[in-house]
Amino acid sequence: MSEKLQQIINKQHKTLSGDDVKIDEVIQLVGFIVGDEEFSVPILSIQEIIKPISWTRVPQTPNYILGVFNLRGSVIPLIDLRSRFGLEPMKHTEETRFIVMKNGDDVAGFVIDRLTEAIRLPKKDVGPAPDTISEEESMIDGVGKQADRIITILKVWKLLERNF
Amino acid sequence: MDEFQEILQDFLVESFELIEQLDQDLVELESRPDDLDLLNRIFRVAHTIKGASSFLNFDVLTHLTHHMENLLNMARHGDLTIDADVMDVILESIDLMKALLVRIRDSGMDGGLEVEPCVERLNAVASGTPLSTIAEEPAPIPVAVATPVPAPTATTEEEPDYSGMSEAEVEAEIERLIALRQAEDAAKRAKASQSKATVQEEEPDYSGMSDAEVEAEIERLILKRQAEDAAKRAQKSEQQPQPQATPVPVPTPAPAAPSAPMAAPAAPAPVAPPKPKPVAAAPKKIEGKDDGENRGGSAVEQTIRVDVKRLDHLMNLIGELVLGKNRLIKINDDVEERYEGEAFLEELNQVVSIVSLVTTDLQIAVMKTRMLPIGKVFNKFPRMIRDLSRELNKKIELEITGEETELDKSIVEEIGDPLVHIIRNSCDHGIETPEVRLASGKEETGTIRLKAYHEGNHIVIQIIDDGKGLDADMLKSKSIEKGVITEKEADGMSEKEAFSLIFRPGFSTAAQVTSVSGRGVGMDVVKTNIEKLNGMIDIDSEVGQGTSMKLKIPLTLAIIQALLVGVQEEYYAIPLASVLETVRISKDEIYTVESRSVMRLRDEVLSLVHIGDIFEVERVFDNSEHAYVVVLGLAESKIGLIVDSLVGQEEIVIKSLGEYLKGIEGIAGATIRGDGGVTLIVDVAALMQMAKSVKSTVGQESAEAKGRLGTKNKPSDYTIMIVDDSKTDRTIMRKSLEPLGITLVEATDGVEALNILKQGDHLFDGMLVDIEMPRMDGYTLAAEIKKYNKYKNLPLIAVTSRNGKADRMRGVESGMVEYITKPYSPEYLMNVVKRNIKFNEGL
Repeated sequence: MSEKLQQIINKQHKTLSGDDVKIDEVIQLVGFIVGDEEFSVPILSIQEIIKPISWTRVPQTPNYILGVFNLRGSVIPLIDLRSRFGLEPMKHTEETRFIVMKNGDDVAGFVIDRLTEAIRLPKKDVGPAPDTISEEESMIDGVGKQADRIITILKVWKLLERNF
Repeated sequence: MDEFQEILQDFLVESFELIEQLDQDLVELESRPDDLDLLNRIFRVAHTIKGASSFLNFDVLTHLTHHMENLLNMARHGDLTIDADVMDVILESIDLMKALLVRIRDSGMDGGLEVEPCVERLNAVASGTPLSTIAEEPAPIPVAVATPVPAPTATTEEEPDYSGMSEAEVEAEIERLIALRQAEDAAKRAKASQSKATVQEEEPDYSGMSDAEVEAEIERLILKRQAEDAAKRAQKSEQQPQPQATPVPVPTPAPAAPSAPMAAPAAPAPVAPPKPKPVAAAPKKIEGKDDGENRGGSAVEQTIRVDVKRLDHLMNLIGELVLGKNRLIKINDDVEERYEGEAFLEELNQVVSIVSLVTTDLQIAVMKTRMLPIGKVFNKFPRMIRDLSRELNKKIELEITGEETELDKSIVEEIGDPLVHIIRNSCDHGIETPEVRLASGKEETGTIRLKAYHEGNHIVIQIIDDGKGLDADMLKSKSIEKGVITEKEADGMSEKEAFSLIFRPGFSTAAQVTSVSGRGVGMDVVKTNIEKLNGMIDIDSEVGQGTSMKLKIPLTLAIIQALLVGVQEEYYAIPLASVLETVRISKDEIYTVESRSVMRLRDEVLSLVHIGDIFEVERVFDNSEHAYVVVLGLAESKIGLIVDSLVGQEEIVIKSLGEYLKGIEGIAGATIRGDGGVTLIVDVAALMQMAKSVKSTVGQESAEAKGRLGTKNKPSDYTIMIVDDSKTDRTIMRKSLEPLGITLVEATDGVEALNILKQGDHLFDGMLVDIEMPRMDGYTLAAEIKKYNKYKNLPLIAVTSRNGKADRMRGVESGMVEYITKPYSPEYLMNVVKRNIKFNEGL
């Protein structure tokens, strides 16, 4: 009896499984400046970009964690990328932005010095991170080459990974 | 999840619910073996589970429940008397059934457990009566079956009782309805005969026919239903219990209920001409039927089963709404200030208060949907007590009151374990053996009372036993033996503090480890779980009289009342449930004892910690002579938290800090305030832990600010007075301190010391004071010295052989900063002195 039922149920549940859509050969990135360097993250990992708002300090955390802020009802950690990258902290300017990135359920806001632009980059122009990268810099996913410049692509999951 | 999985899930949910009730029923049954209602209920549980499991192909489970059902059926018919032995077998089989269900839940299979021995035992108990007769014959139901309705031929072999039963009950019901209807008709007819003679002929005809039709219709429906059952039993088994949230499952009236009203309108339609009378009779009949059902079975509650996730989601949304409301109130206040006297303000005020009112009501309403009666937890205890009392050879009775008290589902889930531990503890350590009880003039049977009731925003669960009680001295000596506390600590302990020793990890009073207790884990778990719920524990006990344990738990976890406090420019929210009181003190009332800050709160010494020290707040300014102390209480401990300001009480919604920041010590979560800012919520339990390791900075800043008189260029610039009546003691102190090279002045008693101070020949950096002295003792001396503003910050160090708690207390009161007990090592004395006079090593 139950096998029969199972069969019927299975049949009913056989939904049309479409063929895998071919992955776009172009990746889209959002570029931003921290310190003197230009970095980028995949556009799909960005939830939103907002102007700086007030935040609340959280005790017992490393200095690069500024605290938490309220993003329309959600409490989200705020990480200062300058401090995270070992640079001197800087006063926020008109151009300072919070980039809210997500990876699965992990969400965090990152303070950056300023935004540059959205970048479309063919996959073939993305090379691996240089071998000389030390452990500290393993946040780098790859290096995008454009005619006049080089853009460091960051690993979002690594940025969102708690390391204290 | 596919549909089969869904069915399985429903089956499991239902089964576990049924079993929960079952345990209680069974224990009750043992005391009332003749209660047929109870037996029927138990029987039906076994039956329902058997039916569903056979459909789901759980052969082992079916096999087991089938035999249980047989045995119970015999008991139901009076062929078997339930005594303790039979009950043991039944309980064993129930346990096995539970184990199988758990296995199914975890692995989806019911194999791997040996049921055969249990089945054999079941059969052995049942033996003497041929099982086949029970299996084949329809069950004789106490209600007389008058109408001879032919038994449906479709009766399946495996379930003769079910169909037999349902039929019989349906019949009984029909019979009753017919009687009812006939009586009604007769009355009507009598009435009608007076007004209209013509109707009279048709009437008996109709009533007879409709009865027959009702029967036929019901019969047909039953057959149809049985046919459908085969295919639909799974759905049925999940549908049926739905209206049965009440403890009494009534499977059979359920199918009968829809059939009767269906039959009724069908019957009069073709036969009777459209006359108002028969039509009117039909709804009446239904009414009568409903009444009958309510009378016969239990009141069927109107319930639906809702996924907890949906309720959680709803609760989250309400949380957002509460935040919005808080914000609205704040904006309203701002607007009020700015546009005072404007006409629209009134309107705005009204809207805001309505929104606020409705939000609060809504929140309460949603909270209520998440509420479960605590009986859900209490239910398992009668069985547990029964097993424990048999195992421990004690006679224990459990009295439960207030099981209908409701609290949040998440709390119900958390509270189970602690209660199990406490009750086990009461059985094992509390209640004495019958012989001991008799010898001490108590009743042979010990009583454990389990009480639940509301108290404000809390639920209180009390566990009271009339056992031997807790012996504070014994607890202390045991703790010392096990290395949980030191002897010194034990001496300073009050009775209550000693009682709370049972919550220390590693503590156990049981002479040996039994299966019940003695590993010293249980009560530790209790404390942890209760703390997790922001609850408090209060123990009261009297040797020989018994122990009472009071658990006080907040009603809900998601939205709480909090006290907002400020420190420098930061704000923190403290769950109000943990706040006992707040006091405003002047900084002079803060004493330092062994480098910890304490204050005196009525007749208690309260250790203090500054919130800034816990949360690394930079203290830029310190503007007042006063401090606010928030007295926090959790489980059985207390602490005073010093804050800069008290902001007020607010309803807050607890939000998690997320994966990235989770597990930050001392922070339970965050909340969003009316102004849109984020405020962190203090984790009181963690804070208390942290306070133990935080160095006090409370008293120091003021002392430092004022500074010591004069500057110190060499060690001899430091001056210490030694006050002791014993020459030997003075010499020991002198010898201990000489290596420092500081100036030492000696006095032989309080009066002399005071005179030396008054003369002002020396500027003292500290004093070592003996307590026991002629003329003026140490306490009086200290109190006298503190009268002088000039010496307010002069560190007074007591050096004495008195080390009782009361002595220390007096020392603190009179203004001593340190308490050194004789004998001491020279190094120790030296260090204490160095610390207190801020001795500069570099000189």
